[in-house]
Order: sequence, then C-alpha cells, then structure tokens
Amino acid sequence: MGDFNIFHIMPWSGTYAIYFFVIGISAAMFFFSALSWYRPEFQVLRKPAFNVSFVLLAAGGLLLIADLTQPMRFLNILNPAYLNFSSPLAWGGLNLVTFGLVSIAYFMTMRKNDEATSRKLAVAGALLALGLPIYTGFDLTVHQNRPVWNTPLMPVLFVALSLLSGAAVATFIAKGEKLLEMLRRFMLWSAGAVAAMLVSLLGTTAYGGSGSELTFMFMTSGTLGAVFLGLGILVGTVAPIAVLLTNSGKQQSGMMLAGGLLLVGGMALRYSILIGGQIVQTYF
Amino acid sequence: MSELRISSIETRGVPGKKRYAMVIDLRRCIGCDACMVACKAEFDVPLGVFRTWVPYKVIGKYPTVRKMFLPRLCNHCDDPPCVRACPVEATYKVDDGGFVLQRYDRCIGCKACMASCPYNARFMLPKHRTYTDITRVVDKCTFCHHRVTQGLVPACVQTCVGRSRIFGDLNDPASEVSYLVNSLPTQVLRPEEGTKPHVFYIGADRNHTEIGRKIYNPQDVMEVERAVFNQNHS
Repeated sequence: MGDFNIFHIMPWSGTYAIYFFVIGISAAMFFFSALSWYRPEFQVLRKPAFNVSFVLLAAGGLLLIADLTQPMRFLNILNPAYLNFSSPLAWGGLNLVTFGLVSIAYFMTMRKNDEATSRKLAVAGALLALGLPIYTGFDLTVHQNRPVWNTPLMPVLFVALSLLSGAAVATFIAKGEKLLEMLRRFMLWSAGAVAAMLVSLLGTTAYGGSGSELTFMFMTSGTLGAVFLGLGILVGTVAPIAVLLTNSGKQQSGMMLAGGLLLVGGMALRYSILIGGQIVQTYF
Repeated sequence: MSELRISSIETRGVPGKKRYAMVIDLRRCIGCDACMVACKAEFDVPLGVFRTWVPYKVIGKYPTVRKMFLPRLCNHCDDPPCVRACPVEATYKVDDGGFVLQRYDRCIGCKACMASCPYNARFMLPKHRTYTDITRVVDKCTFCHHRVTQGLVPACVQTCVGRSRIFGDLNDPASEVSYLVNSLPTQVLRPEEGTKPHVFYIGADRNHTEIGRKIYNPQDVMEVERAVFNQNHS
C-alpha cells in the first residue's frame, strides 16, 4: 500500500522453478522406467529413463538444499522430533528422501536382474514419483493469501506438467514406432490438460478480487507477459499441440521439435506461476 | 466470543490464557517513526529490514490532504499460517499469550513462512551483523515477548509519543485493549485471509490499506531502488 513503503523481497526465487522443472522430469522418467515392466514398448526406456530420473533427482535435491539459507540444516527435515506434518514441505522432504532410497534399491535390483523385486519397487517408486509434483503443487496451494497459487488446480497442473516434460525428454532417447506413438499421446493429452487448466486458472485469477486481478495484469500485459503468455502458452503449449497434430508431428523429428517447445513452455509456466503469485504481495 | 474460535490453536476466550493484542489508533499516529527506532535499538534489527515499519499514503485532494500512516508489524495471528507452513516447527505459537515466535537454531531458511504471511511481517536476516551472531534465518516481531513476560509493554508501545499504540490482554475484559476493541469500531488487515490478527486499527480505511492499481505502473525511481534492494537482499 501507499506512497511510501519499505521494500519486501519475493521469498521464493526462480531457483524453485528450476527445482520444480527438474523434479517433474525426474518423476515422469521414473514412471516411464516403471511402465517398462508392464508395457513392452517402453522396455527400451527402462535404463536410460531411470538414469535421467536419478541424475535429475540428485540435481534437484542439491538445488533445493543449496537454496536454503542454512543448507546444512536440511537434516532438520528428517528429524522426527522437529517435523511439522501440517506443512507440505515436511511431507515433500519425506517423499523426496523415500523416493531417492527406492530409486537406489530399484537400481540395485535391476543390476541383479531380480525381476520380481524390480517390478514391486517400480510400482512403489512410481507412486512416490507421483507424489513429487503433487507435493510441489501443494507447496503453492496452501498459501491462502497468494493469487494464482491458492487454487486446487496446482497439484493437478504440476502432475500434467511433469508428465508433459518427462515425455518431451523421453522423445529424445526413444526408439520404436509404438513407443514414439505412446509418447506422442502422453505429450498431446498432458499438454491439452495443461491448456484446459490454464484457461481455468486465468479465469479465476482475472475474477478473483483486486490482488488476483493485478496478478492477472502482471502475468498477461505486465512484466511476466512475455514469459507466461509468449513462452508458456503460445510457444510452449499451443505451438507443440499444433505440431503434434500435423503429420510431421508423428515423426520422431517433429516430436522432438514439439518436445523441445514443451520443455521451454514447462519451464516458463512454472517460473511465471511461481513469480506471478509473489509480485503483488511485495508491494503490500 | 468463543463461538468464533475455529482452530484448536486459537486462544480466543480460553479461560486462564492470556491473549495479547495491540490496538493502533491511527488518529493519534504522527508518523515520527520512533517505534521503528525503538524496535531497531531493542533487537539490533539490521539495515534494510524491519520488525515494525510505518508506510504512509497521501490521501484527499488539495487543499484537503493528509498523510495516512499505517504502522505495521507481525499480527501475531490467532490462527497463524506461518506456523502451519514451517516444516520443522521453527516458528510456533506460545500457548499462553498468543505470541508467534521463532526458534532461530531450528530454522532451515526455506522461507515457507515468509511466503505464507499475508502481512509481509517476516524477513531474512543478512549474512553479516555487527553485534548479534544470529544470521541467515527468518526473523520477525516478537511482541517483545522478553519485555511482556517481565511485566513491561513492547518497546514500540513504550516509546510511542502520541500513545497511538496500546498493548494488553484481550482475554481480560478490564484491559484497555479490550475496552477499545469492544467499544470502538476497529479494523484488522486482510480479515478475508482468516488469520484472526491481533493487531487492531482504529481509523483505518480499507480503501487505502489494500493494494491499489497504482502498483501496476509504479514510479521508475522506486523500481530502480527496489532492484538495488533485491540485489542486496537476495
């Protein structure tokens, strides 16, 4: 408010958007690796998808720890005496660590060719992987004072963004017509779901009261307009859907083009949603 | 009053429990900023960040204009979103008194509490401080817990020259804050967030305390200063 106010910072910087991005891809890649035990066309992805998932999980975890102002205290999140279960961050920390442990166990059993255990770990890991985008969505949803964030859409949107980004990365390492067609469908349906959710999100933001309305202005015609509307919606959602619907979108090269665009869009959407929810508050 | 209590964390009307609150009479605030200075001195609050601050807005049209000051601080909410948001219980509510406090040795610096606070009452302490070794953790107003438990009032209340800030126990019907809240129309900031703040304003006008459309086209000079501030505090 006012003609004079002290300055307030945005608590969550762009680093969190990168974290959301890599952890979303990691979750989806694990899901594809797990799917390979039940769908033969995904077999070619089993090891490479897992490798990408694990590397990104480690990178995401390190990014999250490095962004804390007290990085060594990340262990506090694992201390049962400290945990506050009303915070989605506490659940997220546990989910992340458990997913990491299951991933290591999955890697070991795959190396030993222990199919029965690998199958079980694949299912457990896939469920934990699903928890990652859900918890990151809840991280934002629970803040009742934040426009854009405080909507039940967030966890679902993050699941769709995760699938979309994972499928986009998978097109670069996939082989086989059947698998490519499955990935094309994953990209198309999840991009469609993201587009539908963005329409709802824009509607509720534009009509959500003064703070939300101002946020809508910042995200469309304001400082975030180019990133959100330009890169996130036009380049990163509408254009790849259009490419995937054409004949060239059924070829691997076309899918890789669409995948590249979806990755740009996935990052831009996560960034603009994260920052968009914080701009107005810095003026209060 | 107790029928308004929803969450078990709330202390409204709980027998035998104190519920400290501050009433700020905006008709008496002259914008001298003595409260900010007293707070800085009491806690060695570093440059650039504030536990209490006094923004203003020029309202009216010439020649009928005035500066409206709105002293701000942590609202010590009865249902504080920061307490829910903290993953390691580094922020907590004191059962008797309703103070929302911080455990500095436990804070991991994830800033979830800052994101959840509708009042921007929380800030990150910088890396370097001259006299105090508590750094790089989230800090905020404590309602001067250390003074109040010794029978004193908070430093900002003690120093307020216009006696604009009044402090006391809302659960005590004989206290001055109870009298003011019960007998005068008071406002809280952002009541729609359901946080049930414990800072009450007399004479605040929501037309002026809310975020206005002006922020969409802020003055360039302010934006340059904001950018510099963000650079130094990121």
